[in-house]
Amino acid sequence: MSRTRKLWLGLAALLIASFGVLLWVGDQVHQYAPPLPQAVVTSGDETLFTGNDIELGKQVWQRIGGQQLGSIWGHGALLAPDWSADWLHREGVAMLELLARDEGAGSYAELDAPQQAALRSRVQRELRTNTWDPAKGTIYVSPLRAQAMLVVGAHYMSLFSNDPATAKLRETYAMRDNTIAELDQRRAVTAFFWWASWATAAERPGSAISYTQNWPHDTLAGNTPTSANFLWSVFSVLFLILGIGLLGWHHARQASHEPLPPIPARDPLTELKPTPSMKATAKYFWTVIGLFLVQILLGATTAHYQVEGQQAYGFALANYLPYALTRTWHTELAVLWIATAWLATGLYIAPLISGHEPKYQRLGVNFLWVCLLVIVVGSFAGQWMAVMDKMDLSKNFWFGHQGWEYVDLGRFWQIFLFIGLMLWLFLVGRALWPAMRGGKEGASIVGLLFLSTVAIGLLYGAGLMWGEHTHIAMVEYWRWWVVHLWVEGFFEVFATAVISYLFVRLGLLRVGTATTSVLFATIVFMAGGVLGTLHHLYFSGTTTAVIALGASFSALEVVPLALIGLEAWDTWKKQHAAPWMARYRWPIMFFVAVSFWNLVGAGLLGFLVNTPIALYFMQGLNLTAAHGHTALFGVYGMLGMGLMLFCLRGIKPQAEWREGWLKGSFWTLNLGLGLMAVLTLLPLGILQLKAVLEHGYWFARSAEFMDRPLIHMLVWMRVPGDTVFAIGAMLIAGFVASLWLWPKRQVAATPLPDAASESA
Amino acid sequence: MIEFYPQIKAVHILCVLLSGGLFALRGLMAQTRLAGVAQGAPLRLLSYTIDTVLLTAALMLVSILPGALFANGWLTVKLILLLAYVALAMLAMKRVHAPRARMIFYVAALATYAWMLGVARMHHPLGWLHGWLA
Repeated sequence: MSRTRKLWLGLAALLIASFGVLLWVGDQVHQYAPPLPQAVVTSGDETLFTGNDIELGKQVWQRIGGQQLGSIWGHGALLAPDWSADWLHREGVAMLELLARDEGAGSYAELDAPQQAALRSRVQRELRTNTWDPAKGTIYVSPLRAQAMLVVGAHYMSLFSNDPATAKLRETYAMRDNTIAELDQRRAVTAFFWWASWATAAERPGSAISYTQNWPHDTLAGNTPTSANFLWSVFSVLFLILGIGLLGWHHARQASHEPLPPIPARDPLTELKPTPSMKATAKYFWTVIGLFLVQILLGATTAHYQVEGQQAYGFALANYLPYALTRTWHTELAVLWIATAWLATGLYIAPLISGHEPKYQRLGVNFLWVCLLVIVVGSFAGQWMAVMDKMDLSKNFWFGHQGWEYVDLGRFWQIFLFIGLMLWLFLVGRALWPAMRGGKEGASIVGLLFLSTVAIGLLYGAGLMWGEHTHIAMVEYWRWWVVHLWVEGFFEVFATAVISYLFVRLGLLRVGTATTSVLFATIVFMAGGVLGTLHHLYFSGTTTAVIALGASFSALEVVPLALIGLEAWDTWKKQHAAPWMARYRWPIMFFVAVSFWNLVGAGLLGFLVNTPIALYFMQGLNLTAAHGHTALFGVYGMLGMGLMLFCLRGIKPQAEWREGWLKGSFWTLNLGLGLMAVLTLLPLGILQLKAVLEHGYWFARSAEFMDRPLIHMLVWMRVPGDTVFAIGAMLIAGFVASLWLWPKRQVAATPLPDAASESA
Repeated sequence: MIEFYPQIKAVHILCVLLSGGLFALRGLMAQTRLAGVAQGAPLRLLSYTIDTVLLTAALMLVSILPGALFANGWLTVKLILLLAYVALAMLAMKRVHAPRARMIFYVAALATYAWMLGVARMHHPLGWLHGWLA
């Protein structure tokens, strides 16, 4: 059996086993999700909330932006509290005050230490005791707790209205006035927040651990890390070291002494004439640039809301474009422009690989582009109407704001996007097809490329697996299929295969070497990547199995990143392989940057928040944002840029590039991203972490903490990095525009030096 | 942030002086045989760094006291002058080849800079003239 065949079989076995386990975990999540009651009743039989209230509250919360304004169970925006953690702490404090008054004291603070300890113990018991009655579908609460719930509920009713008493708090949380205009809907949101907080402290039946694995950290509620959390964190580090050792051994054993293939005398791609459909992808790249610039503007606005919660330099921006919207669009555009760059690369490269331009391919490429524009404009319009309370709640799920971070668009637009991806799959597949038939040389690597396009097309379908009324734990499960498996998994396979194939076409890599290395790389990162999805779900109402599997396999995701220097060096060397490779200097430099940020953003900062014990304290803090920014832009954004430049080289083969602009763009984008992380996100995240450890999670996200002058100063420190970054974006935008608007005069082909001719 | 207002303003003023001083120096060098040094990476990067800090401090000041934007138009005038200053400075540094024209742009940029200083100091669109005319 050939090595390639063995690798294919290994990959197939790995994917079947991994997805089998992942689906089994999904079943576990479904079975053991925190129960949704039909009623929440006091021991005096008074109904506080019904199941419908909680469900309605969830829908209202989704409509106002959901995870884009504050968070639930740690998932969502960094500004405004984690509502589940905030409610939990407020309820505990309210109970302490009520009990203190029962003791005859003016307040809890007036009691002596032993009295305080006794009350804290009582409150902890109230919060942790699970009073869920499955037979009746009812959660019972004591009169004390019911009274505390009313106190906290009143606070939230005020916060989500335009009550002047909570105006300052709304400003700090970047909430617009009257976030929820209708009284009934405000009340329903309090029911949902209460239920979400109840699940964080109520112990699972027969266990001393809450439904969210004792997350968030809050000693008042007895929420401290579980023993499993600690154990699997230790194992996670061990697996990482073991994985690095094994991969290092493999690299040493496999060190290729195979000579490079004969380097072509001329750039093989200059002889290829771009087909009409390949040329038609140009508009995708213009779109990429446009979306990227808008995304940066929205990112700056979102960050600014941290210092002026409702305004931008005195202008009442929140009345027109509140934080929940700017953040929604900022995060969505990140995925959209990066995905557009990759989709365009697929459409560009497929006819290049096969040398075949299928009939009406150009029409299909143009049609898909129009569809993508309609989806962006339509979904954003729906989200604006939803958040601004101009859309009926019944239409929100389909056309408004779903409230799930990165997959916020309404279901109609999701389906439309899925159809678009199917069309993309069809267009790429039909163009690739001739290259895959008949066991042609390189068919294997093309097959892998095609497999990744199939996976990209189909896996977005995971985003359609939840409905309007699906349990939040299950929505989270499927959402991370999209965010982790779709974006981080199969796009990665696609990118690895594309880059290797490009080097094959340039004559810098033997097809056999490329095939085995791509297959092996895919096996390595899929080994951790598929089940690594679970590291996002440690505290989302899941069981200990999720912690065990997530911690073990996501550690393996970091293994190839630790050795990424080998790949970076290999890529770096390729620009010097032949004199004509100077034409590809900047695409290659962006690929090298991908390796750098893979190590720093995905590897170091990713592993910082990866182990269960770390994430227990760091989830939803600026440390996760540091990982998010440096990994999403650093890796996938840079990759999108590199692929775009490669395609532009082919679309405009004779154009002389303004290298200075690209050089400036490359360095300022990298420097700006680094400054953003070092000057703001990391120090802010570390201060928040200290606050979590010393006071509890609620405090690190509270207005009291976030409104400190030091925090504002750190937010302001984003300006230098963001400015430098924006200059980089404008330079690359100018570069792309210049290729069409004011192209440099064409130059004759560079004569080949003798040495290069001889080596060929 | 109002707590840090004096310090931020001090950083802003310091950067204004450093930025203007560095431009005066680089502009002068650009008129001589030291033009290469004036455009060299060390001085250029120093200039970018100072200007980025200057911009950060300026945005912070406006955010703390946004009313300044709407007061008597002095800040708006300053921003317009800033655009003119940037354009003139670019022409003086590299966009124009004729030495005489470069010198004219250099002087014009310095004059604009001086006007901006006056506007900022007097909090009036007329700048120093306001003080003299008053």
